Amino acid sequence: MSGTTEESPAVAGLRRQNGTTLGRVLGSGNIAEAEEGSDGRMKATIRINPDELVWDPGVLVMPHGGEIELTLINDDLNTHCAVLPSNGDTKFIWLVNHSKGTAVLDLDGPGYYWYGSKTGNDEGRGLTGAIVVSGDTPPEAKLDRPPQPQP
Amino acid sequence: MEAYVDAGTAIDFRSLSDLSGKAPAVAKNLDYDRLLKARDAEPQNWLTYYGAYDGQRYSPLDQINAGNVKDLKPEWVFQAGSYGMHSGASTYSFEAAPIVVDGVMFVSGHDNWLWAIDAKDGTELWRYKHAAPYDVSLCCGNVNRGVAVAQGLVFMTTLNAHVVALDAATGAVVWDQVFGDVRAGESATVAPLVIKDMVLVGSSGGEFGVRGHADAFKLETGERVWRCYMVPKPGEPGSETWPSEGEAWQRGGGNCWTTPTFDPDLNLVYFNTGNPCPDFDGAVREGDNLFTDSVVAVDADSGQIKHHYQYTPHDVWDYDSTMENILFELDGQKLSAHFDKNGYLFILDRTDCSLVRVVPFVDRITWGEIDAQGKVTAKVFPDKEGDPVHFWPGPAGAKEWTHAAYSPKTELLYCPVQDIGATATRRRREFKESIPYWGAGVAVDGEDIAGSISAFDPRTGQETWRWSHEQPMCASVLATGGDLVFAGEPSGRFNALNATSGELLWQFQCGSGHHSSPSTYTVDGRQYVAVPTGWGGWVEGFLPAQIGGRAGNALFAFALPE
Repeated sequence: MSGTTEESPAVAGLRRQNGTTLGRVLGSGNIAEAEEGSDGRMKATIRINPDELVWDPGVLVMPHGGEIELTLINDDLNTHCAVLPSNGDTKFIWLVNHSKGTAVLDLDGPGYYWYGSKTGNDEGRGLTGAIVVSGDTPPEAKLDRPPQPQP
Repeated sequence: MEAYVDAGTAIDFRSLSDLSGKAPAVAKNLDYDRLLKARDAEPQNWLTYYGAYDGQRYSPLDQINAGNVKDLKPEWVFQAGSYGMHSGASTYSFEAAPIVVDGVMFVSGHDNWLWAIDAKDGTELWRYKHAAPYDVSLCCGNVNRGVAVAQGLVFMTTLNAHVVALDAATGAVVWDQVFGDVRAGESATVAPLVIKDMVLVGSSGGEFGVRGHADAFKLETGERVWRCYMVPKPGEPGSETWPSEGEAWQRGGGNCWTTPTFDPDLNLVYFNTGNPCPDFDGAVREGDNLFTDSVVAVDADSGQIKHHYQYTPHDVWDYDSTMENILFELDGQKLSAHFDKNGYLFILDRTDCSLVRVVPFVDRITWGEIDAQGKVTAKVFPDKEGDPVHFWPGPAGAKEWTHAAYSPKTELLYCPVQDIGATATRRRREFKESIPYWGAGVAVDGEDIAGSISAFDPRTGQETWRWSHEQPMCASVLATGGDLVFAGEPSGRFNALNATSGELLWQFQCGSGHHSSPSTYTVDGRQYVAVPTGWGGWVEGFLPAQIGGRAGNALFAFALPE
């Protein structure tokens, strides 16, 4: 133990491209929650910031399952794309430099789903994110038993 | 600041491929009457998971036969492939039984994929992908065992315990119902079965301390018809086989994770139930633990349990009985046959699930003994904390979930046999919802293992022939009117054996191991044999010596040269 709260260069280097690793390790990035309108529709914005090669947020939390409308913005100086989970089929969108688009996803939850990019090794460099769906299983599908101890 | 370039709206990934998105409407008139007569009236099709309600996995087709099978060649290959990250990323496997309706194949893959394929040339017609949570609890791999087709719809269960109904001509969702609780550790891998106007499914999750159940839904709307729990609540029939105090029944297991068989005359559905939970720690659940490890005959209309037979009372070896109960008639008797994980072949009178005959079907059985009257004597089991115990068969069983076959032509049963043991060391743990609840550390043998395809006479229980193999045989077999038995190997080889002698007649290397259920059909008068290949699933349980075997994800269709 070093007895200090300062990060080592190796740890600090995990938060940028070509630092400790070549890219950003899985699970990097910010966390944000989707907004739910009065009509129950969920919305969120996801960006690719310049030269970071991560989704921002890297972890998007939905309050429950259902449809969500994403605004996708590529502020990076290179072309990427988004491969997004949705019931029926994966959703796909090209995101050329300085572009903005949308995606409507239908996700069950609870649980989390990966999303990424299908260009080069975007996913390995950092463009692998998660969409977390909070909430619970519908009552009609639950087991008929008393509440159980939780981890 | 310069305005953003308009990237538009995300589109379906499949739209950037050459698939048409449409299949001929072959399933539109596929009604219950046709399903009842599936094999006899429509041998050109493979209309249900087992080919027919009786679970025989037999086709009368004989264009490919013992005389010409040496000329069998691959006609087409369907590559399922994979992209991105998916749950059970190292355990995916292609385990389905292809359904074929008038030239269109419907088959499911890992990670909630479902495809409609031209059964003549392998062209993909439409595809459906249900998004699967990356963190869903899977005991035994990212797998799905197949679909059901009826009334213009295709039905599939999903890893996160939904059952979805799709338009069979387009793959569009018609309805979607949740029937399991992923927060409790439930999931689904079972191929649904359509009976009358219902679709039947069952839950997975027996390693997570759930309470197993089967469910029926209206096939047109998804409205629930009934749910049947396989572990009774206190006071219900069978509850006397659980501790009278405590919570054991609430976590008792007994999941229905393979497809049942059905006798329409008796109106009985023969569900097959999984292990009690915790798998290896029996001291926390004293008693026989009904209706785990059983065949449970359920009234198709009400979901009420009418009869049962428990193959392994108070199981402490993980001997699920989820494998099929094959229905057949011999000498005027309505019988069922079941090769259990515990190494015994059971012949029952299926009118009341009473025992007719029980015989061992594997060479090494040390866990205990079942006598001719069905009396069970346990001999070796993990009953002392921290004390390793070795027993045969191991927890994958002398036969896994993969299916046997029965040929009414030869009147023989054909079984894929796994002769492999394991060591279990009891390690008690506290139950917590969604956390694996085994009650032991388990290591399956990597050496001194064997396997076979073995043929048995159900009249006597005697082994008629055996095709021996150096490794356990882990895939379903298919029997045909061409006097053939098809059986895939862990090595990737797909074999055709003579149904009356067991002689190896033909072999083809598919490139990855077999852990699925082949089917056969004809299109334009030409017979095909279709087999999904792709080694994976619970390999550490049934063949850890091959856990490094080549992964894969392809479906081969074989035919004779034109």
